[in-house]
Amino acid sequence: MTRTLLALLVAAAAGCTAHEREGLQAVSRPDVSRMAPSAQTQVRTSYETLTRKIEKRSTTAMELANAYGEFGKLLMAADEREAAKPCLVNAQTLAPGDVRWPYYLGHLHRKNGDLANAVTSFERALQLKPEDVATLVWLGNLHLDEGQPAQAKLNFERALSLQPRSRSALFGLGRVALAEQQYARAIEHLEAVLRQDPQAAAVHYPLAMAYRATGDTKQAAIHLRLREDRQVLPADPLIVELEALLESPQTYESRGIQALDNKDWPGAAALFRHGLELAPDHAALRHRLGTALYMMGDVAGAQDQFERVVRTSPGYHLAQYSLAVLFQTQGRHAEAIEHLSAALEIKPNYTDARLRFANGLRHVGRAADALPQYDQVLVETPDNSEARFNRAIAFVQLHRYRDARRALSDAMKRYPDQPFFAHGLARLLASAPDDTVRDGGRALALVQTLLGKEQRTLDLGETFAMALAASGRFDEAASVQRDLLKGAANSSLHAVVARLAHNLDRYERREPCLTPWTDGELP
Amino acid sequence: MTGRSAFAVSAVVLIAGCNSQRSKPDVESTRHPVAGSTSSQADWFVDRAAETGLDFVHFNGASGQFFYPEILPPGVALFDYDNDGDLDVYVVQGQMLGAGTSLADALLPPTGRSLPLTGRLFRNDLRVREDGTRVLHFTDVTAQSGIEARQYGLGVATGDIDNDGCVDLLLTNFGTNQLFHNNCDGTFTDISKQSGIEDNPGVAVAAAFLDYDRDGWLDLYVGYNVNYTLENDTRCPNVAGVRDYCPPRTYGGQPDRLYHNVGHGKFADVSAAALAGATFGPALGVVTADFNGDGWIDIYVANDGVENLLWINQHNGTFKETALLSGAAVNELGKPEASMGVDAGDFDNDGDEDLFFTNLTGEGHDLLVNDGTGQFQDVSAQSRIGPASLPYTGFGTAWFDFDNDGLLDVLTVNGKVALEGRANGRFPYDQRKQLFRNLGDGRFEDVTGKAGRVFALSEVGRGAAFGDIDNDGDTDVVVANDSGPVRLLINNLGNRNHWLGLRLVGERRDSLGATVAVMRPTGPTLWRRARADGSYASANDPRVLIGLGRSTEKPTLRVRWPDGRIEEWADVTIDRYTTLREGGGKKRR
Repeated sequence: MTRTLLALLVAAAAGCTAHEREGLQAVSRPDVSRMAPSAQTQVRTSYETLTRKIEKRSTTAMELANAYGEFGKLLMAADEREAAKPCLVNAQTLAPGDVRWPYYLGHLHRKNGDLANAVTSFERALQLKPEDVATLVWLGNLHLDEGQPAQAKLNFERALSLQPRSRSALFGLGRVALAEQQYARAIEHLEAVLRQDPQAAAVHYPLAMAYRATGDTKQAAIHLRLREDRQVLPADPLIVELEALLESPQTYESRGIQALDNKDWPGAAALFRHGLELAPDHAALRHRLGTALYMMGDVAGAQDQFERVVRTSPGYHLAQYSLAVLFQTQGRHAEAIEHLSAALEIKPNYTDARLRFANGLRHVGRAADALPQYDQVLVETPDNSEARFNRAIAFVQLHRYRDARRALSDAMKRYPDQPFFAHGLARLLASAPDDTVRDGGRALALVQTLLGKEQRTLDLGETFAMALAASGRFDEAASVQRDLLKGAANSSLHAVVARLAHNLDRYERREPCLTPWTDGELP
Repeated sequence: MTGRSAFAVSAVVLIAGCNSQRSKPDVESTRHPVAGSTSSQADWFVDRAAETGLDFVHFNGASGQFFYPEILPPGVALFDYDNDGDLDVYVVQGQMLGAGTSLADALLPPTGRSLPLTGRLFRNDLRVREDGTRVLHFTDVTAQSGIEARQYGLGVATGDIDNDGCVDLLLTNFGTNQLFHNNCDGTFTDISKQSGIEDNPGVAVAAAFLDYDRDGWLDLYVGYNVNYTLENDTRCPNVAGVRDYCPPRTYGGQPDRLYHNVGHGKFADVSAAALAGATFGPALGVVTADFNGDGWIDIYVANDGVENLLWINQHNGTFKETALLSGAAVNELGKPEASMGVDAGDFDNDGDEDLFFTNLTGEGHDLLVNDGTGQFQDVSAQSRIGPASLPYTGFGTAWFDFDNDGLLDVLTVNGKVALEGRANGRFPYDQRKQLFRNLGDGRFEDVTGKAGRVFALSEVGRGAAFGDIDNDGDTDVVVANDSGPVRLLINNLGNRNHWLGLRLVGERRDSLGATVAVMRPTGPTLWRRARADGSYASANDPRVLIGLGRSTEKPTLRVRWPDGRIEEWADVTIDRYTTLREGGGKKRR
């Protein structure tokens, strides 16, 4: 039966039964042919259920409302909003006392950007369930979108009176105050949200703007750094139900990604596994399952999933990359290089892979091969500070100390707020075997500046000692080195102890260190 | 009313001297109170593309494989390539994409109006009759122009790169960009290689010419979009498994490029030194203006789905990126938006450049008010543009005073990039355009319903170029649609008010970035800027057209040239175009 014919049938059936079914809108099943097979089946089944209910004269209005509503929900979950709308409208017409239908319609209109109808639907839902905090918050948000902060305020205040710890309502009040240019009040509300939930990263940006408006640019800058693209939403069981409705690999993938974002690793893994039951060869799902397992600490499980993707979908560059990352963390650089090379063959402009590839080459003693890779990374991402640093290290490995010095000096100017360039340069100047590069005085000046600003790490202490030695201040160098040695020994850092002892021996012999980084230290 | 229009017409002819001797078909007068009114002429804007010979249909090569570039084009340019005083049109064209595909695979096969598949140059053969009516006609001169644009075209930018008085043409492509030098004889030469702008292949959409270092030569900013190749094309099904175009995050951004014009149209890539310290995103829109009021031109970049960039000129050949703290990077919730088309303009007539950019369905377009120091506040919701634009995905846009009442209005050209709940149709991404009238109190009225029948057309709008195509004293618009016909929106309303048309000329070329303060004995001072950039993938009329409302007073004009020099002209005649040349006014500090 063609879709048009079915639509006519549905419309006709709706129009010729009991009086409560009059005024219903024509409903049709959208073209499902391009959907995932599992979703096609679901939509067809739900549509057949609806059709049967319509055709059956004994179907009550409530039963018919549910059938329309469930079909509408399913279509909405499948992002078939145009087709979902008449279904939900019919459900609302047939069951005017059921809060679900105006609530879902409110969300549908909201997603379509139809503010006026969204507000009307949520207000209708609110009449049916006046104490529903989610509806109040959504209404408040819509009023803010409309540029009606005073209206929004009423909704948020009502929500807070019902649920005093509602973060979304409090956040809404902060936004209202910001829109009304009441910056002190905005700060008060938004800080309150952060006190309740320090992880509510969405608060930081509006808070930064409020601080900026009060002239407190320092606080503004702090909050801008903490900003994340997340939302503060109310608990919304009806939407949770809707999002879990559609059986498709993509739905499970999307829900799994949400779980990953929420750092719910086991939840994410379970959702990806469900998706894989529907589509066992879905490379992205299996790759994400591997990621979730890795985050859970199941490295072997993760490796198994990544390897399966590489076997079944060798062109899936992300799996090649992830497998390489995993091998690199295990020090299996040769295997990592193989997979990074494969990833780059598939996607030549995959910058992250190229950077790791270059690092891997360095680690297996192929620094000369790494250099053009770093250069390519810097063509693609000129501000890639990691590539600039590692490129300098490659020069060191190749004993091209002047090139290393130039690279680090340039980077230091380019990134004045990234101290590892200054530290790297200090280390090089303090211990380069090339006498024309080694410059104890300059190294010492750099380290002293860093000591005044940065945390006093063992690395920095070691560089300090190197710089003192390079300046001919061997006794002081030895003294600093002994302190470091004691600290390393107390922390059972055996490899470090051996290195420190070796250099201490040099300082006591009044010789500078001539090894900027040992092989084990190389980043 | 009639008398004023007739005066305007004769003034234009005097200034532009543009009565071409070319033979032209006698197409009916474009508009005007003096011409017989028809019902369509009661519309504020009327589409006259097809009847005037601007007969072009874009072809995007879509074959059901959802290659990312298909959803981006086309851009369009308005520029006077032959210096005859009227605006000509260049439209970019697409190609089939993917190995082994042919035109037979196209979902929407090219028609005669699309062929040949090359970017097209249309010469404007505007003729003004003695009674003031206009005969507007376009002639396709691509073949004789020397412009060979057979890559997958995305956008276009215009500027005179060698100060020879003829406007040159930059084409941004999915491929390598092309720079065409205008030979000042109606032909162009491809100088991409020798000019130094040819880069590795990429996806470049937006570009802008600007003189950022005040050396008198136009430099070039090219905004690159995603890190996409046909080889790394990815499938992006929606939640139900229905395939659709991928969002830009699938591919990630590609770094933008700043080219310094070292003289005579030779460029050097100075991106590494000049644009340090920012993370580039998928750029779609670029606009240049002095945002912090220090007299130096800055750059604003609209990035798709990641933070926008505000490059503040440091006066030493470098820029500092300040968008986040300036309040110009993300929306009021701290969320990066899609940010396609963009423009800067002084909508509140307070002397600084405010920002407007178009976004995805559900995001609403953004209006950011400048406090004069380059600090912005998001007033999208209060302005009413935010809520009214929520159902639309916007692309081409500009601040322009369509009714010449002295307040900058906004038009947006819309068209989706994702199915958004409607999966039927071969290319179901169409939406209507929108027009917002500035009410002068910070709010805008959605006047789309009054603007004319062309606003009821649902098309996949992308590029939009703004300019006075019929030289009648109001701003017209050329709209370029993805897989659709070009529209020529002739303004039937604007010149019912008084106006002032200016061409701001430096040594020999349009002085892009020059600003003019229009000071009148009564009424607020109006600030406007000469520019060709902004909008989406498109180039605008570089002349400045200022609406004066009912005022007949002759204003005093204060021009700040891009090199910092300030000059004044008094008692400038209105309702006509006047050319102001740098050095010809009274010097001011």
